[in-house]
This record gives sequence, structure tokens and C-alpha cells, in this order.
Amino acid sequence: MTHRPHTPWLFLLPGLAVVLMFSIFPFLNMIVLAFTDADALGGGQFTGVDNFVRMVDDPKFWVAARNSTLYLFGVVPPLVLLPLLLALLVRRQVPGITFFRTAFFTPVIASAVVVGLIWTWLLDSRGLVNSVVEALGGARIPFLTDSSLLLVSAMAVTVWKGMGYYMVIYLAALANVPNDLHEAAQVDGAGPIRRFVSVTVPALRPTMVLVAALSAVNGFRVFAEVYLLSGGSGGPGGASTTLVMLIQQTGTGLTGEVGYASALSLVLFVVTLGLLLITLRLNRKEDLL
Amino acid sequence: METTRRTFLIGLAAVPLAGCGLGGQQQSGGAVSGEIKGEITFQTWALKPKYTDYVNGVVDAFQKQHPGTTVKWVDQPADGYLQKVMADASAGSLPDVINVPPDLSFPLAKKGQLVNLDEAMPEAKGDYLENGWRAYEIPGKGGCYGFPWYLNTGPIFYNKALFQQAGLDPNKPPTTFKEAEEQALQLAQRSKIAMLGQTPTIVDFALYGVKLLSDNGETFVFNEPKGVELLEIYKRMYDAGALVPEALTQNYTGSGAKFMAQQTALTPGSAYDLGKFKTDAPSLYANIGIAKPITNTGHAAMYVHGVSVPAASKNKPTALAFGRFVTNAENQLKFAKISGIFPSTKGGMSDPHFTTEDGTDEARVRVAAAKQLGDAVNYTPVQFSSQMQESLRQQVADAMLGKKSPKQALDDVVAECNRLLK
Repeated sequence: MTHRPHTPWLFLLPGLAVVLMFSIFPFLNMIVLAFTDADALGGGQFTGVDNFVRMVDDPKFWVAARNSTLYLFGVVPPLVLLPLLLALLVRRQVPGITFFRTAFFTPVIASAVVVGLIWTWLLDSRGLVNSVVEALGGARIPFLTDSSLLLVSAMAVTVWKGMGYYMVIYLAALANVPNDLHEAAQVDGAGPIRRFVSVTVPALRPTMVLVAALSAVNGFRVFAEVYLLSGGSGGPGGASTTLVMLIQQTGTGLTGEVGYASALSLVLFVVTLGLLLITLRLNRKEDLL
Repeated sequence: METTRRTFLIGLAAVPLAGCGLGGQQQSGGAVSGEIKGEITFQTWALKPKYTDYVNGVVDAFQKQHPGTTVKWVDQPADGYLQKVMADASAGSLPDVINVPPDLSFPLAKKGQLVNLDEAMPEAKGDYLENGWRAYEIPGKGGCYGFPWYLNTGPIFYNKALFQQAGLDPNKPPTTFKEAEEQALQLAQRSKIAMLGQTPTIVDFALYGVKLLSDNGETFVFNEPKGVELLEIYKRMYDAGALVPEALTQNYTGSGAKFMAQQTALTPGSAYDLGKFKTDAPSLYANIGIAKPITNTGHAAMYVHGVSVPAASKNKPTALAFGRFVTNAENQLKFAKISGIFPSTKGGMSDPHFTTEDGTDEARVRVAAAKQLGDAVNYTPVQFSSQMQESLRQQVADAMLGKKSPKQALDDVVAECNRLLK
């Protein structure tokens, strides 16, 4: 049997073609467009770094960058900790636990649009939550009409929707924690909290770093939650707009500024890459310890 | 091997440069003549399945009138229509006849992507109402880039029960912006009910009598004192609770939903909305009040839809003939009778369907709207893009929240609109 050197490439070709066409080419195209003043209908000239200079003076960019950063810090801690606690709860073998595991995972597979609409109805000024608050004698809370509360509400939705996914990752990691470590600690007189802090957490540290990285990247690139809860407006005065929303608002439509939107996308890419590199470094340090 | 790899990488890097959309413009001018035959594609905006039979009937009639022609009808859903047009326009593959409102036709026409009907088919102009034809012109530059297909306008709807609850006369709805403010404040103070569900749009500024554009159509000027005056009225209403909190972020659809839920007392609408109230909100329909639109100019606002022929069409004679056929008096009248819209052709409104009431609310609204269209104005400037709408909504929200003065907010939105216009 003869082995031709190009045979492996033939197997790779279909997948490679898809990646080239739908990932690599648009990515390179975005980099080129970032240095032009192109609009949605073509045309445009190379403008050097003008788009990036404009970005520095654009208050909308700074508002969006601030909101995306706040979002990152708002969702990462709960998404690292809560799914872990949830995983510890549902790993127990008690009757009916499968129901709870499924229930916690359901938001992950639910459509983002459906989730957004349900939460909009819940948090509306005349929605279910405010009706309960009013019935209890409180004043209506402007969940969706105050720019800060809108961001917090969107973060809550992200955490609620993401918990099940990270719970599954933790469940897989928990299965790999050696039981004899727990038994040894127990023999030494360690209680459940002590065992959690001294055995479970150190064993899960690499998984926690991974969850932190994934949730940070997703948090920084948030779009659907803020878009749906704000009805596409980015909150009153656009004060809750995130970076991806700003890219969408700037670059879409027949009058979209594709050049500037591409420059914004490039900045988003660099920041996201930075986040991933930090994680990689953290993971390496873990390995060295 | 090394050379091959290098060549491949250079080639890869060159691909985006070639395809990055920095292409040139197309020519749209010149008279069009030629035989009407061959295949064309006609794209509509969310007409299936409600109007499938009607459109198929029009297509069949055209094909019968012009043997040898084939019209392929493609209907796109409402969601993502803009993206579809944008993608096709960038790729130079727009269908031969497309349904676009004036504000979508403007950027396409500006790039030379639509056929100028004043040059290609000047005799068609006489078929249509002047204000309909004008809606597809580029202000200050002339040229018409779409056959007006149908028009719409409407009354205001108000909730008589909510008016009564606040001690307002349910038979005296506001007719001017001043009256609207007075009644809105009373409604908010006495019954904590908001009058409106939306902050002012560009059409509201025009209805208030604000000058939107400079005479040459090259700059926006609605930050003039009258514009500031209107925003101050809205600020007073917002502070008093006469606008729902969501007014700062929601659009026309969201505002309509608040009215249907009886959380606001007044909304602009159309004959189509009345049918929706009847089926979706019967308790509201029982208390519905219908009145003339609020305007300081003496004219109501009119909304236009039309069909355009892209300059890149390979079969312009047939596309133009079909565009004119779809929008001719007979076809528009048939469409109007089944859909609640109004024809844009001369004399179309003299049909008894638009002049005779039969005792129903729908007919009353229809006849009043048809009368209103006689001198209604398409107040939405074709240059006013979705980015500009968003900017207006955001700056108005800042003014309502007291982050900026109304004057400052309008100065900022006008500056942004003028930047985007260039």
C-alpha cells in the first residue's frame, strides 16, 4: 500500500475550507477594513489609524468599554463559585437528583431570545417582580429603565443562564478528585468546610481557572442579554451599551460605518486574546506549583 | 515547497484586500429601452402568507400581458430584511425589483445602485400622487428612485376609560401639542397614568413645526428654538410621570404594546392597528377613542412604501415594466382593499372604498385617513438613517433624565446626524 503525502490534506480539506471561508477570511477582512472608512455598501479609502484615533475621542466607545469591563467583573466571580456549589449539591446520589440536574441545565439550552423575553416580562416596570414588590408595599424598581440596574439585571440573566453549563464542567472535574484524599482528611479530623477549602478547591483549581477564562471572555463579549433587556437600545441614553452592541449599532444597516465597526472589533479581539493569554499564564504557573 | 507555501500565504493575505468591499460605484442614469421579456426576480417584505394569492395574481397578470416573461417572487421575512438588502447590495446581487421604503432607497440611490426613474421612465411620474413620488427623490439633488407602492397615515387612538378616570372629557382628545401636554399632566397627577409610551421621533418634530433640514437638504437643523421647545414639553411631561419609564428606550412597537396593555392613554396608529385592538385587546377596544392626529402644521404625517429597480439588474426593461405594473392604479386598489393601506396613484382614493362609511369603526378610520392623505406630508427625511434614529433616541433620553439640557441634547444629535450625513 502506498502512502501519498497529500492524503491527510484531502481528509482535512472540507473542514479547512469551511474554516477558511467563514472564520479566517472574515477575520482578515475585518483587519483590512479596520484601516478604512468603508461603509456597508462598499467604497471607502484606506485611512491609516484614523479609526483608532476617533475611538480615543469617542465617548460611546469609552462607555461601552467600561460597561463590558464591569460586566466581566460582575459575572466572573458568581460564575466561578455558584456552579461549583451547585455541582457539589447535585453530585449527591439521592432520589430525584436527575430532575434537579436537568432543571439547572435547562437555561443553558434555552434560546437566548426566549430567555431575554421572559426576563423582560419579569423585570418590566409593570412586570411580575415589580407587582410583587408593589403588593408588599415597596416602590417599583427600575430594573430595565435605569442604566446601572439594567446592567446588573443583564448580569443576573447571564449568571442564571450560564450556571448549568459550568456546573457540568465542575461535575466532570469533581469525579476526578481522588476520594482517598477526602478520607485521609476526614481521619485527620477535617470537617466538610475544611475539606472543601483544603481538598476540593486545590484539586479543582485548574478547572476554576478554565471557567474563569471562559466566563470572562463570554462576559466581555456580552450582547444578547443587554440587547434584549434594553429592547435593542442599550438602555436610556445608550448608557448600558456594551462593546459588541456598539459594534452592531455602528456597523449594521445600509448606512453602517463598517470601517469603524471593524476597528472596534479589532480592539475587542485584542482584549479577548489578552484575557486568554493571562489565563494561559495562570495555568502554566499552576502546573509549575 | 517553501516558495509554494509563501505564495499561498501571500495569496491568502491578498484575498481580503480584493474582497473587502472597497469596490467602485455603479451607474444608475440614462433612459432604458428594450424588449419586455425574460426572467426577473421580485422581492417583497413579509407579504407571505397573508397576501400570497394577491401577489401571485399580480405576477400571473403581468406574465399574461407580456408573454415570454417570468417573474420569480421572493418574499423575505420582516426580521433581517435590512441585513438581506445590505448583503445583496454589497455583493451586487440585488433582485431586479425590490420593495424598499424611502429611507432604505436613499443610501442605495446615493451609491448609484438604483435606477433613476425620472430618467429611465419619465412618463410614469404622471401616474402617481405628487407627495408619493417626491418621497423617493433625493432632496436637493432630484431624481426619483422608486415607484410609490402604497401609503399609510392614521388617527390617534386614546383610551376613553383612562381619560374619564382622570376627570378629562373623553370626547375632547388633544388636537395640539399644547393641549396634549395639559391633558397629559392632568392624567399623570390625578390617576398616575402615563399619556405616552414614546419620546418624540423625527416625525413628531416635523408635526410640531420644526424645520428638519436646510433648504439644500445638506444639513440637519432641527436644533432650532422650536425643536428645543418641543423637547422642553416632553421633559415637563416626563418629570410629571406622563411618559412611561420605558419611553426612553422603546420604539413605536413597544409604545403600541403599552397602549394595548392599557398602561398609556394615547398612541398614534393606523387602520391596521384598529383591527389588532379588536382581536387582541377587546377590553381596550370597548373604550377606544379615535381622533385626528396631533399636529401644529395642519398636515398629517404620511408613510410610504415603494418598489425600486437596482442599477445592476440584467433585465431593466422588464423590471421597470413590472415595477410600474405592480404599482398601477388597478393593482394598488385591489391590494388596498385587502390590506388596509392606501393607493399612491392619482385618483385611487376616489373609489367608494375610501369615501363611503358603512357604520363600522374600521370604515370610519379608513375614510378619515383617505381624506387626510390628500394633503398629508411624508415628514421622515430620506436621509434619516437608523443610526440617526438611535442617536436621537439616546440624546432625548439624556435630556429627559436631566443629564443634558434639551438644547444641548439637540445640538449633540444634530452634530452627530450631520457627521453621519457626510
